[in-house]
Amino acid sequence: MKTLLTIRENSYAWVTSALQGLTPLLLPICNKPFVEFLVDFAVLAGSREIRLLSDGPLQEVEQYCEDGSRWGVQMSYAHIKESDDLQTIFEKNRRFCNDSKVMVIDGFVFVGYDKKNDYSDLFNSMPDGTVASCTTGSIRLFTVSESNMANNDETPVSLTPIDSVESYYDLSMHILRHESSRYVLPGYGSEPDSYVGRNVTISKSAEIIKPVSIGNNVQILAGSVIGPDAVIGSNVIIDRKSRITESIVLDNTYIGEELDVEHKMANRNTLISPQGAVSIAMEDPHLLTGIKDTARGIGNLLRTIVHALTAIVLILLLVIPFILITPILAVQGKWKSSRKTCYDHTCKGAISLPDVSIERSGPLSAIAFALSLDRLPTLFRVVGGKLSLIGNAPMAAEEKNLSPPAATPGYRPAVFSYAEAENWPVGGSDAAIVERFYAIHSNPLQDIGLTMKSLINRFHDTTTA
Amino acid sequence: MTLHLDTSTGKTIGVARIEGRLDATNSGTLLQKFPEWLEQTNDFVFDCSALSFIDSSGLGAIVGCLRKALEKNGDLRLACLDPKVSMVFELTKAKQLFSIYHDCHEALDSFNTGKQQ
Repeated sequence: MKTLLTIRENSYAWVTSALQGLTPLLLPICNKPFVEFLVDFAVLAGSREIRLLSDGPLQEVEQYCEDGSRWGVQMSYAHIKESDDLQTIFEKNRRFCNDSKVMVIDGFVFVGYDKKNDYSDLFNSMPDGTVASCTTGSIRLFTVSESNMANNDETPVSLTPIDSVESYYDLSMHILRHESSRYVLPGYGSEPDSYVGRNVTISKSAEIIKPVSIGNNVQILAGSVIGPDAVIGSNVIIDRKSRITESIVLDNTYIGEELDVEHKMANRNTLISPQGAVSIAMEDPHLLTGIKDTARGIGNLLRTIVHALTAIVLILLLVIPFILITPILAVQGKWKSSRKTCYDHTCKGAISLPDVSIERSGPLSAIAFALSLDRLPTLFRVVGGKLSLIGNAPMAAEEKNLSPPAATPGYRPAVFSYAEAENWPVGGSDAAIVERFYAIHSNPLQDIGLTMKSLINRFHDTTTA
Repeated sequence: MTLHLDTSTGKTIGVARIEGRLDATNSGTLLQKFPEWLEQTNDFVFDCSALSFIDSSGLGAIVGCLRKALEKNGDLRLACLDPKVSMVFELTKAKQLFSIYHDCHEALDSFNTGKQQ
């Protein structure tokens, strides 16, 4: 059997207007894109070839689904005209349909199925005709060479229209509360009704009340309460002491401190009440804001320039103490230098960095540490644009690295880390939260201030040592 | 932002009409005017029917007004919150600080009946 998915632009126009920045066909339903539910169902129904047809843009869906090999199917894509009826669609896709039985899922609808069932025998034995329908779509079976049509009285699957913010919210909550076991949802959970994605950092004092679904690259800070009935998307930060209940926080959203998100949807800086689809775009970045990919654009160029200039100033300040002190420490055996290989800012390549440690005994080594002389060799890499002045502690490029920087948005290996600036032990989970927060929210000017804090912290570290 | 005194319930209550946006650009004006209003009465109703947007500065100003009214043993009650503005009050938990009414009459009556929402 083959499957045609026909989804017309006007059926998901509400997504474009209400949930800006989202690709409608990739609209997450409990952390899984809408289109993936359709593909899963088509596979369960015995399809090995799926064609997605739309009069809207398909580029992003195509990038996401590619050739369908991850589901063990062949996926193809084609455009239709708004005015094309089913007969025209068949004619245009005659070669694809090619005498075999074809299942047509028409509309922006959610197919309710159960992953434990195998629908292939059932669907292959069913006569042609409508299998299920709702106000905005249907599932129909066709055998191109046959013409006998019948309506199937017994419906093995259900269809739910997704035609408004309210219906989308209700569907997501219904699946999370009652039907999550029926679908393959991403993430892992130590217990039922709890799905947690990759690279999720949850503070010890945060509370998770199931059912919850949490995406990838999420930080839940101290004192926050997530759930019950919370869907948290990917690349989300929930700041301290905030509460998320009966709500959906969509991808790339920052929820500020001490906020109460109840029975709402948050999409970047927009807060939406599902009932009546009332929405407000927040202008306070500390309340609700979108998370941008900071690794690109003019902002990044400006940051590189500011970091390089500040590094030059630091080099000029430190070079004379470096020339005077380090040879003595080297002779005393207190200056130990080696090299380490770390991921670069692209997360794909590696850079070799000097790794200096100062044995902190005696006044001279204390001065060298306080002045951060051990960092001077790496400051030249900042001038060359290979490192940032302040950012993430460079992550060792080891095969066993559990949290690769590719999974860390805004990863910038740096001479000083944001965790050092905020006096958190480098390498701990708290440090990861701090570094992620600043990687997303800091600006070049803040970076200079935080670098100064790092330098001052090292001075205090020496005096208390 | 205009204030008129309402005596229809037998009590002098200041009814302030907040219009348009209440944000960082004009929240200071409210905080400046409120002490003057406090010289006329201690009880207030803020009619928010024409308030279309509020940010954290505006919210801070209204909370500041409430604190000043409470210090004088008065109260500040809100009426006719737009759903969008209401969402900001819910999000920041400011809704828990205020008595909020559907319309101004209800808010004015509450000062006499003693019913608080």
